[in-house]
Amino acid sequence: MHTKLKYLAMTALFFSASSAMYAVDLTKAYDMPDATEMIKKDLFPAAKKYTMPKSCDLNDPKAIARGEYIFHNLNGKKAKKPAPEGLVKFVEKKGKDGKVKKKAKQFGNCVACHNIEGARGAGNIGPSLESYKENFIDTKARDAQFVYQKIADPRIDNPNTHMTVNLTTGLFNEQEICDLTAYVISEKKKK
Amino acid sequence: MRKVILSIAFLSTMGMLQLNAGEQFAMSDADRAMYKEMLENNPAEIYVEEGGEILEDSLGGEEALAKFLGVSEKDLPKYIAGFPRYVEKLGNVVGIDQVLQAMEVEQGKKKTKLKSGKMFSMLAYVKSLANDELIGIDVDADEHIKAAYALGKKTYMTARGGRGLSCNSCHSADIVGQVLRTQPLPDLGEVAVGGTWPAYRMTKSSLRTPQRRFQGCMKNALLKVIPIGSKEMVALEVYVTKLGADKKKKIAIPGLKR
Ligand code: HEC
Ligand code: HEC
Repeated sequence: MHTKLKYLAMTALFFSASSAMYAVDLTKAYDMPDATEMIKKDLFPAAKKYTMPKSCDLNDPKAIARGEYIFHNLNGKKAKKPAPEGLVKFVEKKGKDGKVKKKAKQFGNCVACHNIEGARGAGNIGPSLESYKENFIDTKARDAQFVYQKIADPRIDNPNTHMTVNLTTGLFNEQEICDLTAYVISEKKKK
Repeated sequence: MRKVILSIAFLSTMGMLQLNAGEQFAMSDADRAMYKEMLENNPAEIYVEEGGEILEDSLGGEEALAKFLGVSEKDLPKYIAGFPRYVEKLGNVVGIDQVLQAMEVEQGKKKTKLKSGKMFSMLAYVKSLANDELIGIDVDADEHIKAAYALGKKTYMTARGGRGLSCNSCHSADIVGQVLRTQPLPDLGEVAVGGTWPAYRMTKSSLRTPQRRFQGCMKNALLKVIPIGSKEMVALEVYVTKLGADKKKKIAIPGLKR
């Protein structure tokens, strides 16, 4: 009898201990993947001043054509027309696995925020760039250097800008910023 | 004008803009007719129902959920309306999906992936239990949620990625109602993100959760897409949910979105 009780007590003890062991630690029971490092790597540098390179040929029709293409398209996958000379729709990138993959080249999609001659579905977050040459360049309100800086890194002109940063982020190179500048300040056909 | 556009229903918003801007906007008459039809018959109801069945069959339904969360079944809707929140036994500010995972583990079941359709359905069902409640998030409730709110705000404001944009670049008060390509920019409080997601997204023909929706914006704007359930993602949901709570918005799941 006595031993039986003892036995019972022991089993009870055993069960409570094992169930305590089994009361899973729920603080690790769900997924909470890390994003802190991802965000850190995704940050971009502080606002940077640029001088328009001498190599920018703002009157080159090919540069203007490239600028127009970058302005009106989001990326190489979405762009319908063939890319103009000096621009590609896809770039080759080495993935983590070492394999080379074709990736759509990102363009400016400036039309998402700006109206301009010939725009389709333009947004209005940024000012209209229609008749830019007549209104801003010919009147000397702006010059090519201002436009170049604005596109390269608009934070110099306006630290709280809603505009995309295009050169400091490394998404575009100097030549592409030249192309965009050339296009914005070019004389355009009136409809 | 901007305020007016946003405070009336999406449907009539699109109608008004259509009048103002002609064919510039992406929603056609056929789209609008479909939207109207779907308002009465949201295709996501099926997923919500399915989520309810999974919860019932595999985890013991609302009763088990209430017990797991330490609230009465009567108080469950109000409690659900306060997510994301700090859940002590999970040791973090968490979303409903993470609670469901922990329940699964406690019951010795396999954890359902946060980004799976099954989880989206269960999440939608559980959140729909709070329908008609006010969005009840309390970002002052404890130190943990205070920290999550602060992290959410920081994540929301941090410009990053290929184009140097933040959530705030496109959703700040001074730009709401303006047009990005053909899309009017929504005020995330006014459209009650915290009360209308999970929602059926017409353009994706599927049920999407709020965090999945955030990922969509990140992808489009070239921000590195951060994973569902990460501290920052939950914090973003806290921040954005508070925007709707400030406007006294109610919960109505599943939502219906373009
Ligand atoms: C997300 C919105 C957005 C996008 C995308 C955008 N912009 Fe802008 N842009 C603005 C805003 C807003 C301004 C007004 C000034 C400011 O806040 O920086 C502006 C100003 C400008 C100006 C100066 C106009 C002036 O003379 O005052 C130029 C030029 C310009 N943008 C060109 C571009 C080009 C080229 C691109 C594409 C590479 C582009 N923008 C993409 C929002 C945008
Ligand atoms: C480049 C601009 C841009 C950026 C950056 C951006 N968004 Fe958006 N967002 C939009 C547009 C445009 C829409 C409306 C799209 C539509 O109606 O389909 C939208 C819609 C949304 C919606 C859906 C609102 C609803 O319920 O109808 C949510 C939620 C959202 N954004 C959250 C975010 C978060 C969080 C971030 C940052 C991680 C972010 N967005 C960054 C442009 C942007």
